[in-house]
Amino acid sequence: MSRADPGAARQMPAKRVGLWRSVRASNPVGYLFTLPYVIFFTIFTAYPLGFAFFLTVHDWNIVRTERPFVGARNYERLFSDELFWQALLNTGVFLAVHIPLQIVIALLLSVVLNQQIRARGFFRVAFFLPFVTSGAIISLVWLRLYADDGLLNAYLSLVGLGPVGWLSDPNVAMTSIAVMATWKNVGYYLMIFLAALQAIPDQLYEEAYLNGATAWQRFAHITFPLLNPAFILVVILSTIGGFSLFVEPFVMTGGGPLDSTLSLVLYLYQQAFQFLRMGYAAAIGVVLALMIFLVTVIQRRYLEREVGY
Amino acid sequence: MIRVLAALGAVLAIASAGAQTTLTFWPSSNPEEIMFATQIVEEWNAANPAVQIRMQPLPASRSTEEVLLAAIAARTTPDVAANIYPGAISQFVDARGLYEHDSLPDFMPFMTERSGEGVVGLYTHPSGHVFQIPWKANPVMFAYNVTLLAEAGIDPADLATYSGFLAAARTVHEHWGGAKHLYAPTVDVTWWQRFFDFYTLYIAASGGETLLAADGSVAFDGEAGQEVFEFLATLFREGLSPKGQTAQNRFFAGTALIEQAGPFTMPFYERNAPEGFEFALIPPPVPDRRAGEDVYTYGDPKNIAIFSNTRHPEASWDFIRFVLSPENDARFMRITGQIPYRLGMEEDPLFADILEARPNLQPFLRQNAFTRGVDDTPHLIEIFTAISREYEAAVVQGARTPEEGLRRAAQRARDIISGFY
Repeated sequence: MSRADPGAARQMPAKRVGLWRSVRASNPVGYLFTLPYVIFFTIFTAYPLGFAFFLTVHDWNIVRTERPFVGARNYERLFSDELFWQALLNTGVFLAVHIPLQIVIALLLSVVLNQQIRARGFFRVAFFLPFVTSGAIISLVWLRLYADDGLLNAYLSLVGLGPVGWLSDPNVAMTSIAVMATWKNVGYYLMIFLAALQAIPDQLYEEAYLNGATAWQRFAHITFPLLNPAFILVVILSTIGGFSLFVEPFVMTGGGPLDSTLSLVLYLYQQAFQFLRMGYAAAIGVVLALMIFLVTVIQRRYLEREVGY
Repeated sequence: MIRVLAALGAVLAIASAGAQTTLTFWPSSNPEEIMFATQIVEEWNAANPAVQIRMQPLPASRSTEEVLLAAIAARTTPDVAANIYPGAISQFVDARGLYEHDSLPDFMPFMTERSGEGVVGLYTHPSGHVFQIPWKANPVMFAYNVTLLAEAGIDPADLATYSGFLAAARTVHEHWGGAKHLYAPTVDVTWWQRFFDFYTLYIAASGGETLLAADGSVAFDGEAGQEVFEFLATLFREGLSPKGQTAQNRFFAGTALIEQAGPFTMPFYERNAPEGFEFALIPPPVPDRRAGEDVYTYGDPKNIAIFSNTRHPEASWDFIRFVLSPENDARFMRITGQIPYRLGMEEDPLFADILEARPNLQPFLRQNAFTRGVDDTPHLIEIFTAISREYEAAVVQGARTPEEGLRRAAQRARDIISGFY
């Protein structure tokens, strides 16, 4: 399995030089066919994106017609706003719990569900169901599980353990939300791992088996390395998903207790749609997008390995 | 000949259709208010063929304010909407969404005759114009569980002051070994939750002050604000009120003996209270220094307004006068159990049978003379959010002292008003 094609790499510079020439030489009717997408992209992606950058240097309350220019004030305010830093820290806590937990559970479940076990189809569907269920509804159900007099604490009391403030203890609340988010999303990542597992040729395992490799050695030296592209995908997707944490704290805690579950997107929402500070909210959005971009680049750089057998 | 007649008929039909005015009216979307709106619109349409009303309940959303603001931004507002929260009026005026009601014929006399001279000052915008018509109020009081309070040996009159209230809370705690609480205020940090605990108690403690002084400066960190923060913090600090969330209704389950209630909660009580559940109403507690005085409370007012993009302001005004007529105010109270902003209802024979049928409304009606709304500022939600954060930190969690929490909330509010945030 080889990912890089040296021939293609050699051709790249030549292609770039000739781009304009090839545009001029190509059939103009072709551009007509791309028009629907170009229009769609302009209206729904390019314009909103450009407008978001425009807003970051303006003060606007969404209904007023005036939009005074404020220069870098929204960004200055951002860096001196303790709540922004708190939200960033909280999002970091969420990611630190959510991503490793998600990967470990999804990987374990995918390996199990890749075996010939009974009711395999049922389990695959069962794990996937929470992912396609509305986040708001799941949050409302878990709100009852996590209540101080809810089901979880009722079970704990059966074994003589004291009630835990799942959502009312500031030291526990974000972890509780991360566990719930893992339960909700694990089915999706499980499917990605499962698809990647099924793409690994059986003869590799047979050959290793014949050469005396143990089950653990087969996992560590064949399965795990060959899952690397899926692994990268899962890490990146769950990082992006984690940075956009919103529904769960919005429904379950409103950002409390003591701002411990205030996520960046929840803070952005409050600024935009409760306080109508569109410029400031756009600045938070731009900084958030930059952070996701940087983290993703770093992850790719350190996690991506080229593996081929 | 037939053709000529047909053409004449068509011309007449078009002409009469042109003479008909259609107004759009958005009432609140709860079942009782829709029933009220349906009845009055049917009656109006039957009596006024030239001005027809199209009724459409407010589109569903988290709040009426968000819907109306979105409609103003998109220029899709109705001619008339009911159930508008006065705290949002400033934002709507800022967005040039509302009609200058004071330019309507007989507006001021109508408003003062129905609701008293006091409403003029209360609802005049800083620009000198009036952009809303007072409609109804929902004075917030405290409902207590008659049976359990008696079982603990507590006289409801003792709950009138902070010292009596705290003593009763300790009694309840000891009597049931911590399994029941006198009062379990919500720990939800959503901004509007503070209307019903901090803000209600603040209005009571200050003798009817709101968060901002007349000149728009922050005033809630004075003596009254400190007393309220300290009072509530004591309840949580001593374990007399629970810090956690619950999946059940504590008041009905009997684990909280008292809770805030308004006329709007009465239909909920009627439908959901367990068999034999007995409750009664009292005004909010006040600091001991105010014992014996009239107690003010939060009025949770909701108003009616005409929007600026209407093409028929005078027809809209005629319709509103019909909605606010004595007969329709009585009908409103009969259907919804809420209280119209009208003087003299206790003596008015139109209301006598309603009050007899709904004895629970009597205390609210008496309390109605002593209510306050909210300040007219576009920063209201942000200020309440700031208060709610510090309420949680200083009152519920005890992460800082009540004085420090209140000081920080007030400072944040000052920064918000000055444009720092």
